[in-house]
Amino acid sequence: MNNYKLQRLLGTDTLLPYWLLLPSFLYLLVFFMSPLVNAIGLAFRTDNGVFTMQYFLQLFHDLNFGSALKYTFLLVAIIVPVQLVTALVIALLVNTGFKGSRFFLYICTIPLGIADLAAGLIWLSIFAQHGYLNSALYSLGVINKPIYFISYHNISFVFWAIVIAEHWRATAIVLVNLVAGLQMISKDYLEAAEVLGARPWQRLRYVILPLLKPAIQSALIIRTILAIQMFAVVIALGGQLVPVLAGESYFWYSLYRSYHMAATYAVLLMALSIIITWFYMWFFRPKAGMVER
Amino acid sequence: MKKWIVVLLLIAGASVLVFGAPKITWLSTQFRPIEEAQWVRQTLLPPFTQDTGVDVTFIGSEYAPFVDRLLAEAKAGKGTIDVVAGLQGDFADTFSAMSDVSDIAVGGTISPGIMKLGQMGAIQAYIPMMQATYLMAVNKKALAYLPEGADIWSLTYDQLLAWAKNIYDKTGEQKLGIPAGPGSLLARFIHGYLYPAFTGYQVIKFDSPEAVTMWKFMKELWQYVNPAAPTWDSMDTPLLSGDVWIAWDHTARLKQAFVEQLDDFIAIPSPAGPAGRGFITVMAGLGIPKTSPNREDAAKLIKYLTSPAAQVAILQGVGFFPVAEEAAGAVPSGALQILAKGVTAQASSPDAIASFIPGGIGNEYKKIYTDTFTKFVIQGKLVDIQYLLDQGRALREMYLKAGVSYPAPDNK
Repeated sequence: MNNYKLQRLLGTDTLLPYWLLLPSFLYLLVFFMSPLVNAIGLAFRTDNGVFTMQYFLQLFHDLNFGSALKYTFLLVAIIVPVQLVTALVIALLVNTGFKGSRFFLYICTIPLGIADLAAGLIWLSIFAQHGYLNSALYSLGVINKPIYFISYHNISFVFWAIVIAEHWRATAIVLVNLVAGLQMISKDYLEAAEVLGARPWQRLRYVILPLLKPAIQSALIIRTILAIQMFAVVIALGGQLVPVLAGESYFWYSLYRSYHMAATYAVLLMALSIIITWFYMWFFRPKAGMVER
Repeated sequence: MKKWIVVLLLIAGASVLVFGAPKITWLSTQFRPIEEAQWVRQTLLPPFTQDTGVDVTFIGSEYAPFVDRLLAEAKAGKGTIDVVAGLQGDFADTFSAMSDVSDIAVGGTISPGIMKLGQMGAIQAYIPMMQATYLMAVNKKALAYLPEGADIWSLTYDQLLAWAKNIYDKTGEQKLGIPAGPGSLLARFIHGYLYPAFTGYQVIKFDSPEAVTMWKFMKELWQYVNPAAPTWDSMDTPLLSGDVWIAWDHTARLKQAFVEQLDDFIAIPSPAGPAGRGFITVMAGLGIPKTSPNREDAAKLIKYLTSPAAQVAILQGVGFFPVAEEAAGAVPSGALQILAKGVTAQASSPDAIASFIPGGIGNEYKKIYTDTFTKFVIQGKLVDIQYLLDQGRALREMYLKAGVSYPAPDNK
């Protein structure tokens, strides 16, 4: 088939992009939009199809709701910024191109390949009563009987164990984003800055970071949304001691078998994700007077 | 010419492979852990395939997709599942998709009392396959700390408390184990053991003065429970690691401890409370969906699985106890004998209160029990009558809404 025939088949050139987008649009419609609409339906309608707020009322009265909301926000608020800083430091380090920097990057991205539940179990085997940490402390003579790290007496420790595990597991995704972003920055800018006498700190503050903004934005959006939905690591390390929203949704579906309540939690998560994405877009919007690349 | 013969032979060979061996699909909420599923495929099923020539594809499924799949197939009027295995409650929830199996031949003698459990509405929804219960496993080291006058074969909750306290006072460690993780059977402990033992019922007296006494007792007992309990789904691991010495759990979730360290553990009945010795009898059975593509071969599999040989194999393989009378006497020695001794002692204790797992009301009721436990015991809040009354009302509403009567012992 020659070009002319193809054009006649698809219509004009201006229509071509839409044809190319059609498959992914259909995919999104079937596998994302329809479950989404269904979930909203389940959250707001009874089995008879009558509009109701009863599931949201039940959600607000749920024993775990308050603490799930609190812990979800606390985890996001602590993990995301710390991960951003860690990833930025590693990315800048890798970007200096020191000998072995590729190898170092590979090592840092290993956790990307580990499922979140597996990561949680790895850290559980470290913090368990007869786990690696207790064994190490015992053989060093620091303690003479195991410490209960994971226990309901010490929920704040469980919380920090989750932060550590999640930091270890998911920093790599931010790192990959930032490394890609750094490599996009043309050396010309840095050389120009150097010629004009900018110190390393000034180059970072006034050249690299502004140019890295799009990469930081997408890394933040991805990471924050994933952090809001986090639950496998939490469950592996703390059971329900540290409830989170996504975990509650999962338990309502799998343990208590209420589609409505599971969907209600899911809709709440979706609303939070949308608000946060919108906030990032607004926060990182190009400001007046700024030159866009 | 030769080429043609080869091609014809290949086609003939392939058609024997494709059409020759009948194939059935077995969906099951039981034998789901990987080792158990592996055991079903490699040990339990091969003799059946050898005898009958029927190939079985075993699919282990979680409860939620199990129910969804069976109901969807029934709704579509066209099925891929030939035979199913599930708990009493799984059948109660998929009852509308099941066919009457009262005409199916059984491989052993199943007492009418047990067989009757499978009757739902007007039909025999399933044929009992195996039974299990939950009891206590004890490390022999703990026996030295047993309070005076206590008999491990007829322990009371007060004696259990004294025992655990004694161990704590002398060793400084909390050696009592109750599985309280998200995947644990904690809800069973509360509604099938604690409530019947203290109040005599699992639903009716949810918010009674006896229940208040029970929750206060539980808060006291919790001081001697290992603080990692809220992360444990099964007790075999902490028993083997020595984290706990006395543990309550399902026989299947205790078995590994007995298998690995036979001489270290004994199995004893669950304790008795003021009302009696509450415990759950779990019944798993086999059913055939209405939409089964191959009912005839499904029936053969049911006959095989209820035969004494398969029943003993199931006990040896996964620690579920036989329902066929011929098999019950042939319990092999070793870990299972010890467990079987505990199971029998519990079932035949004079103060027994047998409880059933609620069926037909979904699973939300579990949250009522575990939330109450979380609030009063784990979070340590005061035992609040108003909260109990609210939860009790919500619990009874669930039964009312589903149109289901309360399970034993409430229906006595």
